[in-house]
Order: sequence, then C-alpha cells, then structure tokens
Amino acid sequence: MDEWDVPQMKKEVESLKYQLAFKREKSSKTVTDLVKWIEDGVPEDPFLNPELMKNNPWVEKGKCIIL
Amino acid sequence: MGEMEQLRKEADNLKDQITAARKAMQDTTLQEAAASINVVGRVQLKTRKTLRGHLAKIYAMHWSTDSKLCVSASQDGKLIVWDSITTNKVNAIPLKSSWVMTCAYAPSGNLVACGGLDNMCSIYNLKGKDGNVKVMRELAAHTGYLSCCRFLSDSEIITSSGDCTCVLWDIETGTQKTIFAGHQGDCMSLAVSPDFKFFISGACDFTAKLWDIREGTCRQTFGGHENLSRINYILDLCKLYDLRADQELITYQDSSIMCGVTSLAPSLSGRLLLAGYDDFNVNIWDTLKAERVGVLAGHDNRVSCIGVSSDGMACCTGSWDSFLKIWN
Repeated sequence: MDEWDVPQMKKEVESLKYQLAFKREKSSKTVTDLVKWIEDGVPEDPFLNPELMKNNPWVEKGKCIIL
Repeated sequence: MGEMEQLRKEADNLKDQITAARKAMQDTTLQEAAASINVVGRVQLKTRKTLRGHLAKIYAMHWSTDSKLCVSASQDGKLIVWDSITTNKVNAIPLKSSWVMTCAYAPSGNLVACGGLDNMCSIYNLKGKDGNVKVMRELAAHTGYLSCCRFLSDSEIITSSGDCTCVLWDIETGTQKTIFAGHQGDCMSLAVSPDFKFFISGACDFTAKLWDIREGTCRQTFGGHENLSRINYILDLCKLYDLRADQELITYQDSSIMCGVTSLAPSLSGRLLLAGYDDFNVNIWDTLKAERVGVLAGHDNRVSCIGVSSDGMACCTGSWDSFLKIWN
C-alpha cells in the first residue's frame, strides 16, 4: 500500500466498507453445515471407498500388456 | 492530517471492524464440530500411469471435465493433451513462448489456454476444421506474467497476473470485460466456484480474495488483516477458510513438514485435501481433523501441480521431474 496514490487508496477504503457489510453467519451454523456436507459426500468419494474403484479405468485389465 | 493519512486511518479502522465482526461470529471451531468424527483410515493411492514426454519442468496441469483427458504445460515450450488412460498424446502443441506458467482446459473440451512470462493468455482451438490445433486468440493487456487462467465457458476466461490484477476476458473479441483490482502483490492463482458466479484469487500480499464475477467486486479478503510483518516468517501453509462465517477455520501443518506447499486439490467429497510439496511428495490430509492420512511418493523433483478429476476417480500430479503421474 506504500506505493498507492490517493485514488487507489480511496478504492481500497470503498472495498473495505463493502467487505465489512458482508452478511456473516454464525460458525455454529456454517461449520456444522460444512461438516455435514462433507460427511454426506464421503460414501460417493472414490478415494475413500474401494468398492467405487472396482472398475478402475487406469488399472490394466489383463496380467500382461503388449508394448 | 493529509488526505492519504486520513484514508490510511480509515482503512485500518475498517480492518479492525472486520476483525471484530468475524470474532463475533466465531461461536464454535472446526475441531469442536468434528470432535465426534473419527480420522479417516490410512489412504494409499498407487501410481497407475506415468505420462512421459515433456523434456523440462512441468508447471501446470488441468483435467478435462470428461475425467479422461488432461492438459499439461512445460517449459520445454509445449502444451500436451493426454489421454490419461492410454497415456497417448492426443495433441502436442508447440508454444510461441516456452516460459509457460499455467494451462487450462475449457469445460466443453473444445479449447485449452496457457500463458506465462509473455504476459498473454493464448487460447487454442482443439476442434478446428482441418484437425490442426491453432492459436485462436491471444489475450494481451496484462502488464505482468500470467500466473493462472480458468475458463468459465468457450467465450469467457479469467486470468490472474503478476501485475496484481485478475481479468475476465471476452474470448470472441479478445477484450477485457472486467478488471479485478485490489491485491497489493502478484496474483499467483485462482479458482472458480462450481456455479461460475465467484472466483478466489491468491496473491503475494499474503491474502486470498473472493470476487463476485458479474459485480466485479471483492466480497471478502482472507489472511491479510493481520500484521503483515509477522507473516513473512511463516512457511507456505494450507489453511481452510469458512466463507459464510468469514473465518479462518484450521491450518494443515505438521512439525515434520519443513517445506512449502505448491498446489492443492480436494477429493470429490472434500474430506481429503491433497497437497503437493517442495519435498517431491504429496501429503493427503483429513480436511476435518487436520491430520495427515497418506503420502504420495514417486516424483524425483518438486510436485508443481495437482488435480483431481471431476468424477473423483483419479488424481494427477505434475512435477519438475518432467513427468505426470495418475494416482488412485
């Protein structure tokens, strides 16, 4: 900010006013929602469920590959 | 008091108010909310494919939305589109400038983009009539290097630059639609929200900003309201921020990790966070418990980029060792 001139500084002050006005929600609501959203997605996450990786396109089907 | 001094005072005052507003919303922590959840079991992903072909450091990679093709950019001056399953090179695109720092795949699969020290974002049409891949547009206006780019569609792309701004471009006309200014340091990366309404930019001013794409405004800033001088001594870390409560939630760190993070990607559910490091490894974190649950070792140099396919089935890493690896 040391190299900024007055117009840039004015824009920064305007931006900060706008950011201050953001409608924040309580953590108890948002964090609980976040945890639930992630937990709900876990059963569909291939990295956490080996059964979902049964048909893995990146794994060779046969034992040998012809180069 | 001069006008500049007054404005500075006003800015500091507003920052203090934002800090207070955030504190007022903090009635729980992630640790508390996830207290009854167990850490996920050890995650072991294997290298399934190694994509060989680049002749120099790989700086960036991006999956196509089909979860099969991906594009990589290397300072050997090439953009390569790979079929990650067969390891075939679908396209090998020679670049005008070899100093490439980023690449992106359009959601449609029709276009790829790249840019770097040439300060431009070059758009390539992969589906040209005669089968040749040609430069479709050169988006030039940034006065600094192109650090990252991401398509919103075949007609719009967002870029971040060392000139401290991010720009929304109209690809058809090659013009800037919106300039997102406000960062006080080089913009290094950007990520677009799944609904294409917002994007987040990370910059060398130690902050991340959330931008409303259509309004052109910065809605939130993370990481910058603290005393900047203290942040100089902190290693590059991974932190999780809660956008709705406007809070920093948790830091992913371990006393055994002494190097910086270069790149990161969440797994499909977000329960895992895969992060590439300078020590040639990828660490897998349990997002909710902030514990390391896996390591991907296999590269012989810094892991510079990482991406998880949109179906969540595979992770791709790109390294300064010139190889890309597919893991799952």
